[in-house]
Amino acid sequence: MKQLQIIILLVIVMLTGIDMTQSMADLSGKLIIFHAGSLSVPFAAMEKHFESKYPGLDILREAGGSTKMARMISEVGKTADIMASADYKVIDKSLIPSHASWNIRFASNQLVLCYTKNSQYASEINQTNWYQILSKKGVIWGHSDPNLDPCGYRSLMVLQLAEKYYKVQGLYDRLIANRPKRNIRPKSVELISLLQTGNMDYAWEYLSVAIQHKLKYVKLDDHINLGNYQLDSYYSHAKVSVSGKKPKSTFLRVGKSCTYGITLIKNAPHKETAVNFLNYLFDPDGGLAILKNMGQPPFIPCRVPTSTMKDKLPELLKKRVVVKN
Amino acid sequence: MKRYYDPFMMISIISCVSVLLFILIPLIQMLLAPSWEMITESIRDPDIQRAIGLSLYTSGMAALIAFIIGTPFAYLLARKTFFGKRVVEGIIDLPIVIPHPVIGIAILGIVGKQHWLGAFLHSMGVRLMGTISGIVIVLTFVGMPFYINTVKNGFEAIPVRLEHVSRSLGASFRSTFFRITLPLAFRSIIVGFIMCFARAISEFGAVVVVAYHPMTAPVLIYERFTAYGLKYSQPIAVLLILVSLMLFVALRLISKKDMNI
Repeated sequence: MKQLQIIILLVIVMLTGIDMTQSMADLSGKLIIFHAGSLSVPFAAMEKHFESKYPGLDILREAGGSTKMARMISEVGKTADIMASADYKVIDKSLIPSHASWNIRFASNQLVLCYTKNSQYASEINQTNWYQILSKKGVIWGHSDPNLDPCGYRSLMVLQLAEKYYKVQGLYDRLIANRPKRNIRPKSVELISLLQTGNMDYAWEYLSVAIQHKLKYVKLDDHINLGNYQLDSYYSHAKVSVSGKKPKSTFLRVGKSCTYGITLIKNAPHKETAVNFLNYLFDPDGGLAILKNMGQPPFIPCRVPTSTMKDKLPELLKKRVVVKN
Repeated sequence: MKRYYDPFMMISIISCVSVLLFILIPLIQMLLAPSWEMITESIRDPDIQRAIGLSLYTSGMAALIAFIIGTPFAYLLARKTFFGKRVVEGIIDLPIVIPHPVIGIAILGIVGKQHWLGAFLHSMGVRLMGTISGIVIVLTFVGMPFYINTVKNGFEAIPVRLEHVSRSLGASFRSTFFRITLPLAFRSIIVGFIMCFARAISEFGAVVVVAYHPMTAPVLIYERFTAYGLKYSQPIAVLLILVSLMLFVALRLISKKDMNI
């Protein structure tokens, strides 16, 4: 009887062994991931971890403003397997239906005001007086371009919500008047070097970026930091006009919590590897744990808005997500 | 009669044609892509006018600074040998090999308050981040080597004998330089000016780090490309190419005319 058990055990070990070598053999070659600049650090960590599991695999990442990266796929026709956006709506707007068929929300973030110990008023700034300091003449602060980077229009939304939350009439206009155009940058991550070289005193960033770059930051009330999706109806009071499909045309972005979305590109050249990577990313002990450690609270489990969308997912990923709006 | 084709000649012709196609096909594609309507619309767009104007102005300033500071230096390099000359020449070439964004970052590093120079500038109320002066400094940095190298070659090509004759006839060092050497090197100075100008006008990577606003033409092309797509960035590129082309042809004509006198 004992012998039989041992034999069965051995067979199971062998079978799983074969299974593992098979899946390992499958995951070689390349995997191309486009992602938001704010995901650079956690994705670099995931790349290292995932590649160490599959030595034959080479993950190629390209980071940039999410809107721009989506355009690279839809308009320039650049090849990619996976696209991860800092605003899941970018995927809905520019990739679905022709370049992608689903959109999984996997993490959240919030906005904070970053500074260094050399910033003006660094010793005084806190959760209640930050907007007074930003209105002071001579204080140099900036945000990223609202037309290119979701972090840019979200920074403006925070300022609008602050006006409402603190009940200070005209606060938004007063703050913007103290922020010359030259303090705007294409990507929020670029502002960090301006902070560190002393070219800027304060910059709007995601919490994750502040933690990853070890910056000092002011954490804001949930009502204005765009980090709590339960406050989405409050956030929707903020409305920022950004550029539309052609120059001079505009459309309104309505405030919503910072929610990251990810999708598989339809004509992905390395589809199988991509699905396996996503399976790893959505694993609470895998990619999601890395995100959590780096200040980007993940959704455990990840979410899709409708069951129709869940049906479209690859089999492997279905067990990783729930339907939740 | 049978013609003899030298195989080497054939290879040369084939390589000549491939190189021309390699350069021209993408450029022609880009020139033809936007419709005439898009181009005329772009000409009227004040943002585009401003960006192209700013590009021409800042690149022109950079070339002018290179001319004023670079000419005496190029002369020194052409005429004198001194200890460490190779090192100096290597330093001049550095801006060509350093990746462009690194140049921008390096310049930001010294103009911020964290650096004594930046702290001094800030106390004087001078801001280089996001200003026209900042752009000019970056463009001078990237364009200078092209000016100095071209003009140095120009000076080297002038027989030093001519200068000796002038000096032996009683002309001072200064007067020899301005009346003999400089006129003879005029053409290479113009070419150096054009090279520096051209290098500056094409610069993107270093400029966008130091100044996103105000936008030069390459930055605007990038902004239009990322915000609106290929279709809206091409007309600006076409306009920039045409304006630069006209300018360079004009400068070449000036230098030709003067040489004929």
